[in-house]
Amino acid sequence: MSSPKAARLQKVFPVDLEKFLPERVLKNYGKWVERRFHGSGIIEHISETGDRIFTVKVGMPPNARVSADTLDRLADVADELGIGAMRVTMAGNLEILTDSLDKAFKIKEAVEKMGFPVGGWGGSLWGINSCTAFLTCTTAVVDSPSITKALGDALAPYFKEQSLPAKLRIFVSGCPAMCAGGTAIDIAIVGQWGAPPRIREDVIGMCLPPPRALAKVQEGQIFLVQVCPTGALTLRREGDKVRLVLVGEKCINCARCKENCDAFDYEPENVGVAILVGGKMSNTGGGARLARVLVPWLPATPPRYEEVVAVVKHIIEVWRQHANPGERMADFIDRIGWTKFLELVGLKEMHEYYQKTPEFARTFLTFRGRGEIYRRLRDVL
Amino acid sequence: MSIQQPQKFDVDELAPHASQVMERLKSGPWPSHVAELEKTKYPLQAYAAGLAAGKTAWAAGSAKIRYVYTGFIARRTRDGKYAELHFRVWQPSGQIYTTDFLRKMLDFADNYGLGLIDIAGQQGTMIVSVDPAKADEAVDVLRSIGTDIGATGDTIRELATCVGPALCEFALYDTLEARDKFLTHPKIYEWMPNQLFPFKFKAKFSGCPFDCTRAIHRADFGFIGVWEGAPEVDQELLRKKVEVGEVDPEKLAADCPSGAITWDKEKKELKIDGTRCRKSMHCIRTAFPAVKPGKNKKIAVVVGGGSKGRFGPKLGWLIGYLSPDQVKDAIDLVFKVIGPWENEAQPKYRLGDYILHVGLDKFIEKAGIKLEGMPTSTAKNPDEVPYAVLPKEVRERFLQFAEQLKGRV
Repeated sequence: MSSPKAARLQKVFPVDLEKFLPERVLKNYGKWVERRFHGSGIIEHISETGDRIFTVKVGMPPNARVSADTLDRLADVADELGIGAMRVTMAGNLEILTDSLDKAFKIKEAVEKMGFPVGGWGGSLWGINSCTAFLTCTTAVVDSPSITKALGDALAPYFKEQSLPAKLRIFVSGCPAMCAGGTAIDIAIVGQWGAPPRIREDVIGMCLPPPRALAKVQEGQIFLVQVCPTGALTLRREGDKVRLVLVGEKCINCARCKENCDAFDYEPENVGVAILVGGKMSNTGGGARLARVLVPWLPATPPRYEEVVAVVKHIIEVWRQHANPGERMADFIDRIGWTKFLELVGLKEMHEYYQKTPEFARTFLTFRGRGEIYRRLRDVL
Repeated sequence: MSIQQPQKFDVDELAPHASQVMERLKSGPWPSHVAELEKTKYPLQAYAAGLAAGKTAWAAGSAKIRYVYTGFIARRTRDGKYAELHFRVWQPSGQIYTTDFLRKMLDFADNYGLGLIDIAGQQGTMIVSVDPAKADEAVDVLRSIGTDIGATGDTIRELATCVGPALCEFALYDTLEARDKFLTHPKIYEWMPNQLFPFKFKAKFSGCPFDCTRAIHRADFGFIGVWEGAPEVDQELLRKKVEVGEVDPEKLAADCPSGAITWDKEKKELKIDGTRCRKSMHCIRTAFPAVKPGKNKKIAVVVGGGSKGRFGPKLGWLIGYLSPDQVKDAIDLVFKVIGPWENEAQPKYRLGDYILHVGLDKFIEKAGIKLEGMPTSTAKNPDEVPYAVLPKEVRERFLQFAEQLKGRV
C-alpha cells in the first residue's frame, strides 16, 4: 500500500479457511454424508471418510452476552473434551464440537454443571433471540434481555426436551426496529410505544437545520420528514418561526424517528409489547412468511413480565395440543385458518374490534401492498 | 398536549430503585445476563437505571479512531457519567472458532475491553466497551490476530453464512468460500471503510432451502442453494431403509407439503413430480441419503428482505438463478444492485424499500441484471375487470392466437 492512510483504511478479513477452520473440519470439508440425533442437543455428523463430529448445542444468556471468564471455561471444555473448536449459531447459541458420543455426553454434563442448558434441536425451543435494548441501545422502549430471561425461565424445559410438535423460535425486540430478527418467526415479541412519541423541544434542534435555514428549506428536504413513512412529522409555520411538529393522528408508532434522532420521548406507562405469531423464514412446510399480530399491546413489567409470559405460554399450549407432529406454528395456523386459531386462543371477538384499517395508514399500506404483486421465492421454485 | 420537560436522568440515583429487579434477574433456570455482566467491569448501574426508569440509559456518544469510520458503536449514559465504545469484530466464515482464535479474542476483551463479549452470530463478535484511549492500538492488535473491526452504520455489514460444507451434508454450494470471495473482492475495499449508502446493506449465504442464515428476511441480498426439478431418489437404498423401518414411505408421501410424492406399493418405488416440488426439504431430511437434492444445482438470488426500513418488515423477492460455479458472478451482481440504490434511494431506505418505491421490474432494468429465471411478468392487478390499456403488440399476439386456431377447429 502506498500511503499509510490507505493502508490503515484497508480492513483485514478473517478469510483464510485453512487458517481458521479446525483440522478435522478441513479434512472432511464437503464430504459429509449423514447425520444422526442423540437425544436433545447432540448431533452426529458422519463423513464419507468415516470421521465423525458431534455438536453439542448450548443455550446462552439473553443477548448472548458472556463474560470472557465464562467463555474461557467453555473453551477449556472444548479443549479437554472436544476438538478445540466451537461454533456460534445465528440464534446466539453455542455449539461445541467433539469427536465421540461419549465425550459429547461429558460435555453436556460439564456445561450443565456450569448452569447452561443443552438442547434446542428438533421439536423443541431452539433459542430466544434478543436485541440489546437497555444494555446498549438508544432506541429501545422495553428491555428485551430481561423479557428473554423471564421467557427462558418459563420455557427452559422446552429447550432441554423435545416436547413440542416442531421447532419453535422466539424473537424479542425492544422496539419496532426489530433488531432481534424481524417478524418472520413463530413468535415475535416487539416493544411498542403505545402512544405517539413526544418531541423534546430542548434537543430537537440538533437533528434539524439551523432555524434560519429551516425557514427557507423545503419540507421534503428535512431529514426527519423524509424518514417518517406516514407524514406525521411535518413543519409548521408560526409567525416567522418554523417548527417541527408531530401530528399524533397520523403516527403509526414505527419508531423510525427515534431510530434516527434521539430527541423523541415517550411515557413509560404507555409502553408495552406486541406479540406476533405464525411467521417463518425457512422454505420447509408452506414456505417463508411474515407473522401476524395476535396481541397488539401488553404491559411490560420487569422483572417477571407475567402478562407476556402467560400469553406466550398459552399460545404454545394451543399449538401443542392442536398441531400435528412436525407442524410448525406457521403451518399449523395455515391449516386451521387464522380465524379458527383466534378462536382457539380466545381472541376472536377482540380481533373483530381491533382489526380496522385507519385512513392515515393508507400511504404506508399502499406501498407495502405493492410487494404482493411480485412472486415470492416459494411461488417460483 | 402540554410539552413536559423530561425529568433529569441520573444513573446513580435511579439504579438503587431496580436492585430487587436485578436480584430477580439473576435467579432462575435460564442463564442470566446480569450474572454474566457481574463477572465483568460492565457498569451495571446504567442497566439498572434503565430498568428503573423504563427508558434506556444510553444515548449516542462519539469516538474517534484514526482512519477507522465503521465498526464501532459509541454510547454514553444520558447524564454523561459512563461511556462505552463497542467493537464489532469480523468472525471467520461459518462462525466456527478454534479455541486458539477464541482465546486471542478473550485476551483482547480482557486487555482492551471490560472482559465482556457478545457472541450473537449475526453481526460478528461484539467486544463490549473498549477503552477509547487505547482504541487506535486495539485496532492494530485485532489486525495482528488476523481479523478486524467490523461494520456498523450505512455500509456493507457482516456477511453471514450457514455452516455449509464445513459440517452439513445438505449444502448445495460452498457458502464459506462464497463469503471469502466476497470479502476479498477488490470493490469491497472501496465501500467497506466508509458509510456511503442510504442505509445498511446485508448479504447472506444459505446452502439449501432450509435457509439457516435466514437470507430471505434478514438480508438485502440473499443467496440460497436450490436445485431444479425433483429430488434424486436412490430407490435401492430407500427400499433398504423402508425394510429396516427407518422410513415410512406412505407417511413420507402424505406429509409432503407440496403434494408431489407418490409411493408405488407394488414396485416399491418413490416417485416425485418435479414440476410440483416446492423444495420444502421434507423428504430429504426424512430419508437422507436415499433422497437427495437434485443434480442440477442452482443458487437462487433474493433481494430486498429486511425488518428495518421505511415500509416495515419484508420478505425478499426472487430475481433469478445462478449456477454454483458462478459465485464470482454472484458477487458482481451485488455491486450492480448497489448502484441504482445508492444513487437514487432516499436516506434510510433499505434496498427492499427502494424496490417497493420504484417497482421490481424497473429496479432490475436499472441495475442491468440478466439472470436465468428472472421474474418475467408482474400482474399489476388481478384481471377481474374487462378493460385495460393494451399496447398494440399485446393485441396482435391475441389475434395471432385466434388466427392459429381458425384452420384447425
